[in-house]
Amino acid sequence: MLAAIRPDDVDVALLFHVLGAMILLGGLVTAATAGIAGWREDTGQLQRLAYKTLLLVAFPGLVVMRLAAEWVYREENLDAVPEEPAWIGIGYITADLGGLLLLVALVLGGIGVRRGGGGALLKAAVVLATLLVAVYVVAVWAMGAKPT
Amino acid sequence: MGFYDWMLSLHILAAFAIAAALVLYTVLVVVGRRADTLDRTRLLFRLAPVGGPLIAVGMGLTLLLGIVLAIDSDEFQLWDPWVMAAILLWALFAEVGRRTGVYYTETQKLAEGGGAEAEVLGRLRASTGARLHYAGLGIFLLLLLDMIFKPGA
Repeated sequence: MLAAIRPDDVDVALLFHVLGAMILLGGLVTAATAGIAGWREDTGQLQRLAYKTLLLVAFPGLVVMRLAAEWVYREENLDAVPEEPAWIGIGYITADLGGLLLLVALVLGGIGVRRGGGGALLKAAVVLATLLVAVYVVAVWAMGAKPT
Repeated sequence: MGFYDWMLSLHILAAFAIAAALVLYTVLVVVGRRADTLDRTRLLFRLAPVGGPLIAVGMGLTLLLGIVLAIDSDEFQLWDPWVMAAILLWALFAEVGRRTGVYYTETQKLAEGGGAEAEVLGRLRASTGARLHYAGLGIFLLLLLDMIFKPGA
């Protein structure tokens, strides 16, 4: 019985990859929701909540997802595949480009939080978070459907 | 891309919709426990409606497409232990989620219907709602483990 449920390394890597991706997407959805709901709010409370969610939820999720993606890549020996399937390319592009956009959002939002209120920089971070939701939905679809 | 690939990708997207709602609710539970005014709790409750459709659509599609996948697959059957376990965990998750929803919806009604600040804050700080929510998170994690490791398959 124990042998039947003993995990392979690739399954452990996949678990962390999926868990990280879920936390990342959940963090982005939460940040986008808070940011949009607080768009016209004077105190900027929801905009700051959006920023904190990006920093404390989405960013750690991105790190776990990206590191585990590399782990899965090695465990599956995907580097030995002669012609890389399209879904791997989509995964790398969305993870890395999305990661860069998330970092830009964090820098802009960080400056916005320091200035106080719900300023333009915090709003720009919210726009990027909303855009990233769409990007990562495509990535999740590609990881599941694995188009060639 | 074949039928199975499409169903699998939509099944996974549905699971991500549930996960996104769970993250949203976790943020609301954590921040809500620290809220110190009625206005702040009302502000937080403005975010909650996004989670409902994500959970509802996600729950419906994960179950429906999961069954379709099990029927369509040559590799798995509907009566495989890990598939049966997933259906049981899904039902348990739905019930815990329902109870969590009832608790926080009552709190929201109090907050928005002129309830006493102390009572609303007391409900948000009480362990009842948080425990239910974290139990739901735990069951979702078990579902994820079951889906990935497929014990007995």
